[in-house]
Amino acid sequence: MKINRRDFLKTTAATSLFFAGFGLPSFASQNKKNLVVIMLEGGMDGLCAVPIRGDKNFKKLRSEINLKKTLKLTSDFDLHPALENFKTLWDQNTASVFHATSIPYTGRSHFEGQDMMMSGGRVPYQENTGWLGRGMKLAGLKGNGLAMSLPMPLLIRGVPLNNNYFPINSSLPQKRLLNIIAEEFDQYSEKDLSETLSIIRNRDLNYFPGTNASTLALEAGKLLSDPNGPRVAVFKVDKFDTHAAQGGENGAHADCLKEYDQILKALKASLGSTFKDTLILTLTEFGRTVKQNGGKGTEHGYGTAVLMAGGLIKKSEVHGDWPGLKKKDLFEGRDLNSTMDARSIYASAMSTVFDLDFKRIQKDVFFGDKLENLSGKLFRA
Amino acid sequence: MKNFFRKVAFGLKPEEKVPSDPLTWAQKQVETIPELNWKGKHIYSEKEMRKHWIKQRVTEETVFRKKYKNDPDGLRRAEKQLENDSGMNFWPNNEISIRHAEAIRSESPVLAKLWYFWTNHFTISDTQTLPDFSTGAYQREFIRANMDKTFETMAYEGTIAWPMIMHLDNKDNIGPKSESGREEWRRREKEPATLNENHARELMELHTISPKGGYTQEDVQELAKIMTGWRPKYSKKLDQGSDVRFMSDRHEPGKKTVLGKTYKRGRKSLKIVIKDLVNHPSCREFIATKLCTYLITDKPTKEMITPIIKAWEKSDGHLPEVHKAAIKVAFEYNDKYKKFQNPENWWLQVINMSGLAYKYPVPERKMDNYMLGNLPSEELRESDWRLENIGYHPYRAKQPNGYSDISTDWMSTELIIRRLMYAKEAFHMYKTMDQLDLKNHENIIRSNFDDPDQILKIVSKAISNEEKHMILFNLPEVLKA
Repeated sequence: MKINRRDFLKTTAATSLFFAGFGLPSFASQNKKNLVVIMLEGGMDGLCAVPIRGDKNFKKLRSEINLKKTLKLTSDFDLHPALENFKTLWDQNTASVFHATSIPYTGRSHFEGQDMMMSGGRVPYQENTGWLGRGMKLAGLKGNGLAMSLPMPLLIRGVPLNNNYFPINSSLPQKRLLNIIAEEFDQYSEKDLSETLSIIRNRDLNYFPGTNASTLALEAGKLLSDPNGPRVAVFKVDKFDTHAAQGGENGAHADCLKEYDQILKALKASLGSTFKDTLILTLTEFGRTVKQNGGKGTEHGYGTAVLMAGGLIKKSEVHGDWPGLKKKDLFEGRDLNSTMDARSIYASAMSTVFDLDFKRIQKDVFFGDKLENLSGKLFRA
Repeated sequence: MKNFFRKVAFGLKPEEKVPSDPLTWAQKQVETIPELNWKGKHIYSEKEMRKHWIKQRVTEETVFRKKYKNDPDGLRRAEKQLENDSGMNFWPNNEISIRHAEAIRSESPVLAKLWYFWTNHFTISDTQTLPDFSTGAYQREFIRANMDKTFETMAYEGTIAWPMIMHLDNKDNIGPKSESGREEWRRREKEPATLNENHARELMELHTISPKGGYTQEDVQELAKIMTGWRPKYSKKLDQGSDVRFMSDRHEPGKKTVLGKTYKRGRKSLKIVIKDLVNHPSCREFIATKLCTYLITDKPTKEMITPIIKAWEKSDGHLPEVHKAAIKVAFEYNDKYKKFQNPENWWLQVINMSGLAYKYPVPERKMDNYMLGNLPSEELRESDWRLENIGYHPYRAKQPNGYSDISTDWMSTELIIRRLMYAKEAFHMYKTMDQLDLKNHENIIRSNFDDPDQILKIVSKAISNEEKHMILFNLPEVLKA
């Protein structure tokens, strides 16, 4: 493998951490590995994406928003028909599910929940960095984050020089002009502005591919597959908050799942051979109530599913300890319970992709909270 | 000192006289609510605007589904035409013009800046085509029109207004034990009556006491019960478009307890519980903090918040007094703290300081000439697109908590690129004469900065007037105020 200066710097940064007593990873033999997180905002209904099979109680509670047609995953679980690309990956052993899991948040507020799913903390609005940003910092991955949205999500804050990409079709200023402004930012010690501008100065400012989910994913895949490109990308799919007219195979929730599925498809295509060194995980603030409401929708709930894809998946499997859907099994008598702190999945993913010791992530990224190392179970080392 | 005019308003126009007493100048503007500056003919009430919403909704969901059952191409064509017939692509632009005329052309830009604060506080987010028809009217009729009353009035009227009830799903909040909940058809049609907690939760979390108020999930449910029945009555002809009223047959019977206080069943309890929420100490602290965050700094201190809370207590939440206190605090901290301006306020500052009031917003005459049924011209639609691109569209926030007031949320690669681009666009809005005028930038700078020579020196590095514009409006002095 040809190592250029930037790779070398990255390796030394990471290596110096490992010299601090955490075992040296075999970097030289490895390709660059990528982590993609797709945030599903509004509360993704794990029971709609990956419904349980043959549970009479479930069918009864959701008589009007049940799926009539599904794709089969296992003897116990089905898949929403909108997730057809996910199913293709599943059939190739590069997609899996973790069910009955959630971040440790039971307050049912979107804003608190979204804050915590990104911060990785236990108290809303307390952190101003995200778990992914802190993980990248720990791995020495400066300037390696990419958000496919107009604002910079909290999730990857905490490490400098992140980039975002949501292009606009217009001619952009010349470098000379940017340099004048950059000088002033420096003059005024505007650190955040200076850093942002330094990224802009390195951008191809005359290229506009568009901004729908698939196009953004194609661009992200291109950048991620570049050995010198970013190693982390973050997407956002919103409108999962279906209090009314959630729908079954078609409907508001199906549309959102489809958008996720299109991102998967585009990433698979554009990552090319890098797909095998990539993990693509979903993240949401909470699941939704088991029971449908009067508006044929569902309310804010608790347990949900994490959808996982990419070449670093160990094998197709629905992981998790299924808690059951009888009233007594439900969280507060209404929601699918969570039997796994979802942060264990994210910590394990970062351990796998960033080659970091799990305990170190647990301590420095997730505040020493009790998490389970699932790396060996879920992902290929 | 001149920074203050950008902090509480949108800066001064190139030839504008500097007010001799800035604090009084600003405070006077929030005492009364003047008529809107916009003189176009299309200023309709929320209820009038709802007619267009109904047309769009009913035609789409009832008429078209039958008529084009087997004709998908026909459906697509009909849908496009319907958008023009209902004015879907026109109304938001019309409303933005009304909104922005207040900042740029009116005698009370300070009031406008605070209006924008409150419209974000009572966000109607992007759902159910509300932004295309109703959000602008909601912001005029229930937010701006109540800015000379108490916060209690604004909160109550803002809560039971049709767009807010729709947006937070209270139309689906029906008492399980209510008269309607016990009706036979619900069993037959499998449409059980259930609570929908969404609105109740946001009323506490976002609109009044915030999570610091210490409510529990049970409080949320109890408040949701108080709110059951506040909804529009559904009909085939109007869909959900009829007026919000209290439907007692949908109301959950029995007493409810929120934050330790018990409320009787019935219509009056909502008003009483809102009164209690707005008088909760967490409410005034929450809003005083938000006001300081908006005007002064990401991290307001206790010293900043206290005078605003005091003014609130003394005046019973009379908004002009609360606003005057906030303006005074902003004045006192003017030199010490500079606040990064959100994209919309920045854009209005660019227009105002440039002296582009003749070009923006799109003038009344052009808006008035538009006829329903036609596709609006690009010129008429531009402001809607621009706000979306700039990252701050006041009718299209993705979530009910609206837009962030924290600087770092506005400092991404893309958002900074947008500011460079739109500074350039603003320059090209000038008439040719103004584009060529070599004194133009000097005038802008002399009007708006205490130390103009320093800024002039930086801007003189530009090789064209266009570049001067881009540099000037992206300097830290303009990005922050």
